[in-house]
Amino acid sequence: MQRIANERVIVQLALLITAGALYASTFGQSFSATELAQSPMFFPRIILVLWMGLNVIALVQTVLAQEDVGAIASWVRIGVVVVAALVYTNVIASEGFFLPSVVFGLICLPAFGIRNPFLVILFAVAVPGALVLLFNHTLGMPLPVSRFTHLF
Amino acid sequence: MLSYLPEAIGILLSLEGLLVLVLGTAIGIVLGAMPGIGSTVAVAIVLPFTLTMSQAPAIILLLAVYAGSVYGGSIAAILINTPGTPQSAATCLDGYPMAKRGEAGLALGWATVASVIGGLVSAVVLIFAAPQLAAFALEFGPIETFALILLGMTCIVSVSTGSLVKGLMAGMIGIFLSTVGGDPILGEMRFTFGNWQLFAGFNLLAVVIGVFALSEVFIRASAPISRVSELVAFNGIVLPSWSMWKGRLRNLGKSVFIGNVIGVLPGTGAATAAFISYAEGRRSSPNKDGFGEGEPDGIVSSEAANNAVTGGALVPTMALGIPGDAITAVMLATLTLHGITPGPKLVDDNPALIASIFAGFFIINLLLLPLGMLLSRVAAPILRIREAFMMTAIVILCAVGIFFVRGNPFDLLVMGAAGFVGFLLRRQGFPMAPLVIGMVLGPTLELTLRQGLILTDGNFLAFFTGHPIALVLAIAAVLALSLPILRAIFGRRPQ
Repeated sequence: MQRIANERVIVQLALLITAGALYASTFGQSFSATELAQSPMFFPRIILVLWMGLNVIALVQTVLAQEDVGAIASWVRIGVVVVAALVYTNVIASEGFFLPSVVFGLICLPAFGIRNPFLVILFAVAVPGALVLLFNHTLGMPLPVSRFTHLF
Repeated sequence: MLSYLPEAIGILLSLEGLLVLVLGTAIGIVLGAMPGIGSTVAVAIVLPFTLTMSQAPAIILLLAVYAGSVYGGSIAAILINTPGTPQSAATCLDGYPMAKRGEAGLALGWATVASVIGGLVSAVVLIFAAPQLAAFALEFGPIETFALILLGMTCIVSVSTGSLVKGLMAGMIGIFLSTVGGDPILGEMRFTFGNWQLFAGFNLLAVVIGVFALSEVFIRASAPISRVSELVAFNGIVLPSWSMWKGRLRNLGKSVFIGNVIGVLPGTGAATAAFISYAEGRRSSPNKDGFGEGEPDGIVSSEAANNAVTGGALVPTMALGIPGDAITAVMLATLTLHGITPGPKLVDDNPALIASIFAGFFIINLLLLPLGMLLSRVAAPILRIREAFMMTAIVILCAVGIFFVRGNPFDLLVMGAAGFVGFLLRRQGFPMAPLVIGMVLGPTLELTLRQGLILTDGNFLAFFTGHPIALVLAIAAVLALSLPILRAIFGRRPQ
């Protein structure tokens, strides 16, 4: 069971299903039946077929070789950093650059093991602050600003 | 191109030109010295600053950061036994033992001189080889271009560290990502699923920075927190005297040659060149017995070769529009951002620009010597910065960089998603360089294949019957693709 239900197999199965679904989506559109090289789907279909073929080979190799991925040292840390980074990249447009960057720093630095609150706050505020000063107020290339003030 | 040299020198001697040359090289050295940043991330971090610049200074800044970071990697390799960049991994083998016996300054001196000589020779190769290659490629029609891109794609095989199948698969994923958005011939939308943000396709730089920089942060977060490395005693660079070079010049020349040849081949990269050169040095150097125990020839082999790659790698990038690795892929994307179309016509259409870029690259390599001597003292304490600060700063700087590329918040989402997917794929052993190369070359591959098929009424074999250049390139592509596969299959038999 372990041979089949491991991270490598699951990820490769997910890739195979994705490629299959994308291949299926190339049919049934108004331009799908256009002749060979004229068809917008001609090239992507070749690539998706190659993707699926290689995916099957990689999957078989993985199952036969019983390869293991590296262990995660701390699920909490990786979870916090991944979620923080994904939320951060999502909210910059709506909440501005400065505030999300400060919050991201306040979350990420302790996750990476910085325990000194003074250092955490100083870095979390100083780096985004310096970038806002540089880009918004010196170079005239404004980063997104928050809904509260046009200054940052 | 020489007739444009006065104009090029004018650009380089302007305030903006001098600033980008000096600051770019300095920033590159410092960023390259910081383990975990690497040349690709260093170039990506600096990218937003180029958007307000004119074409030549923008490209020169990126080249300065690229060359500076390759050299800077040797500082960390020698002082803390951790290569700042993968290219400097071979430098650790002799640099650190030398530093441990109290010769850190001299070890860095060997690395600096070897890097400068390697870089300068590669700049000369670039200046002479790129225009010739581009002039030859100007004759190419869509069929020849298709065969050329096919050959370029085979570099995916050589950049596929670990599993070849996974490397090829990553390449296919990259090519597929390049097909999202408008079809190049009919303009129909593909794989957008009604999302207008995808009409222009995925932004290359958002994907590149996501899969390289952001995924690196996630990988560091998944590993045990690293301790701050101990520095060896270091009081500045000591340059080797003339007498110390006796018996080592042949090794230097050979290393520079290996670096240049490997650099010109798409996909091989500086790390491969450094290790091949190191292995050759260990085989043929008169001082081979000392290799691995602090032998200067080991440092010279690695550093001369990895810096010689920088100019060589730019030859196919500038002359043909084929990136050799992720860094040159970022460079190509930057050229596009500045309204320059990469490819064989680049040299012909922009002679003054190319002259200033090439002359700038030569000066950058000259600057490595004084700036290396000056900045190694500054960079040494930086090596002790905690990983947490570097990783947090990388995410913030990447967000700034991607936002400035198009000012489109959707690119930030793409970067985040690419970072997460890149993290998952890298954990499973998928190399990311093939994905990026596939994404860069995919559009031209598709366009030329379809144009060729339309010209030959759908007869693919006709691509090669009436086009000898295409035939030669296709045979070279098949050989380049099959040799590593055969080696992988038959190489295991003795075991």
